[in-house]
Amino acid sequence: MIYVNNLKKEFKKTIKDPGLKGSVKSFFKPKTEIITAVDNISFHVPRGEILGFIGPNGAGKSTVIKMLTGILTPTSGSCEINGKIPYKNRKSYVKEIGVVFGQRTQLWWDLALRETYTVLKEIYEVDDAAYKKRMAFLNEVLELDEFITSPVRTLSLGQRMRADIAASLLHSPKVLFLDEPTIGLDVVVKDNIRKAVKAINENEQTTVILTTHDLQDVENLCDRIVMIDKGSKLFDGNISELKRRFGQSRELRFVPYDFAAVEALDYKTEFGLGEDDLELENDGHKVTVRFNSDTIPVENILNYTLSKTHVKDINVTDADIEEIIKGIYRSEVKLDA
Amino acid sequence: MKILKKLRRVFRLHRIFIKQDLKRLMEYKIDFVTGAVALLIAQGINVFFLSIIFSQIPNLDGWAFEQIIFIYGFALLPKAIDHLFTDNLWAIGHFIIRKGDFDKYLTRPINTLFAVTVEKFQVDAFGELIVGILLLSVSVPSVNLSINPLNILLFVIALVFATLIYTGIKLITSSVAFWTKRSGNITYMFYMVNEFSKYPTTIYNRAVRAVVSYIIPFAFTAFFPASYFIAGGNPWFNIGGTVIAGSVLMALGILVWHKGVSAYESAGS
Repeated sequence: MIYVNNLKKEFKKTIKDPGLKGSVKSFFKPKTEIITAVDNISFHVPRGEILGFIGPNGAGKSTVIKMLTGILTPTSGSCEINGKIPYKNRKSYVKEIGVVFGQRTQLWWDLALRETYTVLKEIYEVDDAAYKKRMAFLNEVLELDEFITSPVRTLSLGQRMRADIAASLLHSPKVLFLDEPTIGLDVVVKDNIRKAVKAINENEQTTVILTTHDLQDVENLCDRIVMIDKGSKLFDGNISELKRRFGQSRELRFVPYDFAAVEALDYKTEFGLGEDDLELENDGHKVTVRFNSDTIPVENILNYTLSKTHVKDINVTDADIEEIIKGIYRSEVKLDA
Repeated sequence: MKILKKLRRVFRLHRIFIKQDLKRLMEYKIDFVTGAVALLIAQGINVFFLSIIFSQIPNLDGWAFEQIIFIYGFALLPKAIDHLFTDNLWAIGHFIIRKGDFDKYLTRPINTLFAVTVEKFQVDAFGELIVGILLLSVSVPSVNLSINPLNILLFVIALVFATLIYTGIKLITSSVAFWTKRSGNITYMFYMVNEFSKYPTTIYNRAVRAVVSYIIPFAFTAFFPASYFIAGGNPWFNIGGTVIAGSVLMALGILVWHKGVSAYESAGS
């Protein structure tokens, strides 16, 4: 369905010294360098899968999405979707995809929302019967009725996002690209949007590629995740695999009788650890220690803690997915997936 | 048949987009009414001053008053038509590319150039159009112009290709923004050369005349074709030149545009 092979995108960037002086200097004698935004990424997505694309800000997620949707031309490598090359067969290709950029809107800002749909109907050549049926379905999953007559500029962010998703689905695309569809939304709206995406995926076997910073999106929606950073792929697999591979990180939480006594705890020297191997947080109510059970056995850390402090309460848990990903982003090690 | 179907679709979409833009204009009633009134006032003043200026100049380098009015009026027509349909090209050079807003045109299954231009229907152009028609109709009875089928055909041809000269120049200069992110001022600089075309080019020195005839050929949008109708001349040069300049500039514009689209870099997020 979607084949991405050694996809690469480079941008030329002008480097300027700070201030007006720097700008003037660069105006007459520009210095440029090549930035590699996406560096040889490959992956494959079968039909009907929901793929989560995650990575820190600036990792290259949007650049990949823009190449897959035909907005950017790759510097090298290839991608093929539904047997088409996005930037070559653009017009026939985009008929089969839907795109939502959470930070932008494709709706007609000044007009009532339904005016956008009537124009999109023409652009995508949806016939009247199909349009009617489609709008009824979209209205059911995204609840557009309450604001379909309001001008787009008056919609709340949550309404606007639902409206934008509906706009991208009007022509029943085979692939749906969602770039940060839940950005800035409250928990209820986020949940509605997730349910809608899931419903569309299940009803129509729509393949979904989604980028997000909200790991709830990932846990609730995605069959698989691809994690990238600095333009390269760090991980490719499902969530349980991620947990299995990187899930050795644990959290030790305890409530001491005397918070000052925590000062005496020196895990790093005791276990001979580096700066990043362990993290200690003391917020005055409880103490949290994050560590990796491969480097320090749980028994040892418990023994050491209890030998130095008296505690009211203590427990050890698996870190959640958020902690795992934070660890991976932070360590910046390239993991061969 | 396929071409016919395609053309029908183009016209249909065009009509829908124009309606959309008119609805947009009328969404803000006070602004719309004020704009319409301001347009009428501006064009009224424009006509008033033109009549003052021209009444002071009985002739200009051998051109009679009515002939100058005819050339001036002719000059406004292609400018107005281009203004009416392709005004959004200015926005390409000023902010659409710089802000990454071009993304949305690329994710729609219609030609990007069509999608951009069709989105704006610049009603301000009706001012120029009305004044142009007005000037032509007052001058026609007093200039030596024979109205016959051939001349009417040539007039329409000249008008179409003169419009393409405007559009082509705007298209080439706006497309530069695909590489430089911003090119509004480049468009402005080239576009303003059209001011020379409203008067007989024979009044300028040789350098200016060469530039407006052969380099940025705005003379072919007004003086050359208009003077053919009122003073005669070689139709192969006066009208043919307009056809060639319009075709070449438009073809070049489309080429640069498409090269630009593949060099488009979008913007963050």
